[in-house]
Amino acid sequence: MTVDEEGAVDAAQRAVAFARQAGADAAEATVSIARRFHAEARESALSKLEQSTGKALRVRVFAGSRKATLSTTDFTPEGVRDAIAQAVAAARLVADDEFAGLPERFVEDLPALDLYDPHVDRRPGDEKVADALALERLIRESDARISNSSGSHFNDASVITAIANSAGFAGAYASTRAGRSTGPIALDGEIRRTAHYGTAARRFAELEGLREVAACAARRTTELFGARKPPTMRCAVIFERDVAATILEDVFGALSASNVATGNSWLIDRVGSRIGSDAVTIVDDGRMPGKLGSSPFDGEGLPTRRTPVFERGVLKTFLYDTYYARKLGAHSTANSNGSGIGTNNFYLEAGKDSLEALIASTQRGVLVLDTIGFATEHASGTYSRGARGFLIENGERTYPVDEFTIAGSYAEMLAGIDGVASDLRFDAPVVSPSFRVTEMTVSGN
Amino acid sequence: MLDDATLHALVTRALRRGGDFADVFCERRSAVSYRLQDGRVHEGSVAVTVGVGIRVVSGESAGYAYSDDLDLAALMEAADAASLISRAAPAGSARVADLSAVPIAASQYRDGHGPADAAAYVGLLARADRAARAFDPRVVAVNAHVTDEHQEVWIATSEGRLVNDRRPLVTLGVQVVASDGRERGSGYVGDGGRTSIAFFDTATPELLARDAARIAAVNVEAVPAPAGEMEMIVGAGGGGVLLHEAVGHGLEGDFNRRGTSLYSGRIGERVASELVTIFDDGNLPEERGSVNVDDEGVPGQHKVLVERGVLRGYMQDVLNGRLMGVESTGSGRRQSFRFLPQPRMCNTYMPNGESTFEEIVASTKRGILAKSFAGGQVEISKGDFVFMVGEGYLVENGKIAAPIKNATIVGNGPDAMTKVVAVAGDGRLARRHYTCGKAGQYVPVGVGMPSVKIASITVGGTGA
Repeated sequence: MTVDEEGAVDAAQRAVAFARQAGADAAEATVSIARRFHAEARESALSKLEQSTGKALRVRVFAGSRKATLSTTDFTPEGVRDAIAQAVAAARLVADDEFAGLPERFVEDLPALDLYDPHVDRRPGDEKVADALALERLIRESDARISNSSGSHFNDASVITAIANSAGFAGAYASTRAGRSTGPIALDGEIRRTAHYGTAARRFAELEGLREVAACAARRTTELFGARKPPTMRCAVIFERDVAATILEDVFGALSASNVATGNSWLIDRVGSRIGSDAVTIVDDGRMPGKLGSSPFDGEGLPTRRTPVFERGVLKTFLYDTYYARKLGAHSTANSNGSGIGTNNFYLEAGKDSLEALIASTQRGVLVLDTIGFATEHASGTYSRGARGFLIENGERTYPVDEFTIAGSYAEMLAGIDGVASDLRFDAPVVSPSFRVTEMTVSGN
Repeated sequence: MLDDATLHALVTRALRRGGDFADVFCERRSAVSYRLQDGRVHEGSVAVTVGVGIRVVSGESAGYAYSDDLDLAALMEAADAASLISRAAPAGSARVADLSAVPIAASQYRDGHGPADAAAYVGLLARADRAARAFDPRVVAVNAHVTDEHQEVWIATSEGRLVNDRRPLVTLGVQVVASDGRERGSGYVGDGGRTSIAFFDTATPELLARDAARIAAVNVEAVPAPAGEMEMIVGAGGGGVLLHEAVGHGLEGDFNRRGTSLYSGRIGERVASELVTIFDDGNLPEERGSVNVDDEGVPGQHKVLVERGVLRGYMQDVLNGRLMGVESTGSGRRQSFRFLPQPRMCNTYMPNGESTFEEIVASTKRGILAKSFAGGQVEISKGDFVFMVGEGYLVENGKIAAPIKNATIVGNGPDAMTKVVAVAGDGRLARRHYTCGKAGQYVPVGVGMPSVKIASITVGGTGA
């Protein structure tokens, strides 16, 4: 453990001791200390420079089988004591809940997951600023039609996470992340077209290069010049990988045991059933070295693991923390994020074909490059989003399309996946390769 | 939270490398909340946010740093970090004025007296649970939460303004799931505002819970939404999400100063039907989006955004207003001390028109009625927006017909607003539970509107 990690563990252990003194029967404290940097450039100037180190303390206190949580940025001893006293008082007022409590076991050996890159911490601020400025220049060099941007960014963070609890567990780890992104704007007649593209990784050296990021963002911005509404029709829909990842996020929402327990999932009572096509194997894995969704232990100190969630279309399990596992009669899958249930690395397994091969084998459909909309209603599992991309006819992109919607249900979508591309990459905790759904409703004119 | 001498020293330190303007934002916020699930209040929580954000503005550039440690050395370090922007940007040499306190004229908030007795919160949730379950036998789950928050801010600027504002915010939300054994549907209703929990003496948990249960039951019976272009009636109140997405975001000063919004450079031009007038107002009593002063210390204001179809003005914060040669409109808001302020909406609404809801329904041959929205989003450059219907119905031959499943509506801001063909006289502000996200920052807002008819829009369902 580094000196900084020891300091964070000490702070967490002090909070646990305060909680016990305040009358809690059991307690768990999480300390995170994050150094964050963000530079935004526009044209040839730096427009924003933000750099700070922030702390956060989260404590769960248990009074018998009653619980309360506390979060604070006030690390003064009086501040911590006062907030803990309030939380213990709150815990005494809520109802008994036999499922509340600390987990029974904790991580023992911390695996080396390669989550910390010293280069991210050591890189001089001037070089980071230069990255943001270079992106602004390179998007314009990539395509002369790029005339403006919503900003080009470099950001990084270096975080220490420490957990201690009254059952004797204490652990800490350091992690880093860095990212570059840009949002060029080009005039298509009177219409301003924009797109966004970025790269993110735990290690600086794993970021995509400035030129690649700029070129991809510029291409995404200009390739939709002349886009119009497609006809309203039933047809195949190919989701490009970044859009596909947003669908995986929604699928995760229905798998989260907190949504299952509160009635908010279309997958309730479906474990063991065939939901998806043979191409649907979805995994949650917290132990992938160097990945953005990896950590040695989850938000309760449980060792992370690899959990197959769908295997060849069959739903194997929901994703649990300790509380909802007890409530639903299962075991935690180490998906606690401290305040609820979150993903580790959550992904659809890649197929063998390229995205181009998927397009070439599509008679009639749309390639979706971007969607807007959110607010998924997990109870019914209906899917409907605004979208843009290309119309595909006889295996070729015919013309760009926008201002339309695609709709269906998650059940129909997972069952209808008939092609998965090989383009999976891990630039976020939730990722997906591109995939094709046999048929959905496209609503245009 | 910090004394005047410390605030003055921080502003001075922040400007030591030069700059046009600097400010210090100090925040102390505490919130208590309780959650109900499975018929019992199973969790209480306490959240405390204390910290200071320091900003230096130099030309078009802003340097920012925050500290959650109130120790003078840590604060000075933050001021130094913020000042680094002036190495990279052409720096002015602002003079630091002596601080003088600017009092709040008349408060828009109905301030409570700090957190109430915990039993009061628990009681509200239990009442919501009972009312929802009693409303319909198909109710299978009730999830409810109540949050009571107090935020106190102090803002000190290099121009010498020192402002203090104490903002209460309560929210009671009820989410109900209903099922007939085959289909599941959910409904969410929330209310509250910048007031105390005494608000729920009149907006009772029973009223909210029954409405959430009613929507959940309606969604169980819902048929697939239609697909294609058709007429749309936007319901009074919650329909105001349409204004927020289709127009509001595009009129925020940062996008227009940078020329990235489709409304850039179009003040004085026609951007909507003559029937459309849109206000944004920071001064409505108790509303979620109201601010006595914004997060730069500027008083909240009533702004005319669109008047009879003509674009009248943008919403500005200090930085973007200065660069466009206008005053701030009291629209500079931030999520917390960890964030730079941005121009944001407060409460966005449309005044009444002359039609009636009944006339509008009767005139609709084939379309949908969107009574409430579950959310919305806009891409401000091209102006394409979506919103997600929370409670909707088919309208056929002048009559309201079957409820429809949640669907996304897609349109383009000026296009949709030009197709507004009727505005009713039933305008009201929506129940107060909306939160707006922009560039990763979330702030409470309000919306409102009368019933409105749009001649043609694309509905994203799967039905015929």
